[in-house]
Amino acid sequence: MLDFAHWLAQTRISLAIQTRLWVIPTVQSVHIVAIGIVMSSVFMMDLRVFGWAATDQTMRQMTRRFAPWLWGALCVLFVTGALMVVGEPVRELLSLSFWLKMSLIVVGAATAAGFQMTLGRNDGDWEHSSANRRTTKCLAMVTFLVWCGIVILGRLIAYDHVWGRWSLAPIT
Amino acid sequence: MNITGFLQSIESSGIAAWLRGSLYAFPLIESLHVIGLTMVFGTAAIIDLRLLGLASARRPFAALASETIRWTWGAFALTATTGALMFSTNALAYYQNLQFRFKMSLLVLAGINVLIFTLTAGRSVDRWNADEAAPLAGKLAAVFSLLIWIGVIFLGRWVGFTKVIDLTPDIDILINLDRF
Repeated sequence: MLDFAHWLAQTRISLAIQTRLWVIPTVQSVHIVAIGIVMSSVFMMDLRVFGWAATDQTMRQMTRRFAPWLWGALCVLFVTGALMVVGEPVRELLSLSFWLKMSLIVVGAATAAGFQMTLGRNDGDWEHSSANRRTTKCLAMVTFLVWCGIVILGRLIAYDHVWGRWSLAPIT
Repeated sequence: MNITGFLQSIESSGIAAWLRGSLYAFPLIESLHVIGLTMVFGTAAIIDLRLLGLASARRPFAALASETIRWTWGAFALTATTGALMFSTNALAYYQNLQFRFKMSLLVLAGINVLIFTLTAGRSVDRWNADEAAPLAGKLAAVFSLLIWIGVIFLGRWVGFTKVIDLTPDIDILINLDRF
């Protein structure tokens, strides 16, 4: 991985990012704006599941309102994230937080897609039995916590030393 | 006590010293700051887009705004608290940092924007509550809100990349807050 990261750091596009100091902060800021959209979209759909907001809306209406924003923002996150990896390969690829974050993103995206598909198909069904309601609420809570975890791990990339001897960061 | 003395006393407080010394505290507080600020921006944007008639346009404004804004305030409280804690670790340097000052000025503008909205379009909500979009004053407030919060995010990120130079002669304290 270190070899690959060093190779990537020598590519023309990586060097272009590295030599323009404004690129990384700008890309990171766009990344954070998109995180805001993802977090709030997930949060609002969860509030509806808990019955704490938008009770005049069905889950299908909520999904139609927020899912396009969620997936659109995730695309932005993927592109800006990829730019950060290309711009700073060693920092990103040799950090345990980065790989933990990638794993959690798979979980987060899969849960969001699963949620969308089941609730979209049988709109309202989950509200009719208390067992279904409870499961849905649990899943909604877990989903939001997973996204919080993703944000925390993203920030910890800059502080990989918190993992102690598990840290992948090369000793400088 | 002058401002420098005041800031230095913040820096030398027990909690600031503890935050500087702990391996985990600052990164975790910074992470909570990011969670808080993304929620402030996202929930505020939901209200702004409704004012502009670009999203949730069929739902009455007042209901949507009241059930959303309480979370904006909650998230703002988390962000401000964690922000104050981060500030305490290096108060003087942040105070002298240009990007930090711009960011704080934008936050003041955000407050003024809310105040103006409350005094103008906010007063006549009953009249346009069910309309697809707010009157001009409401739309302007929404555009300003979106621009201000995106600006706050960009400036906040920029603070982490600036070298904060202490005024003490010959000693440049270079804190690269993002990647040491």
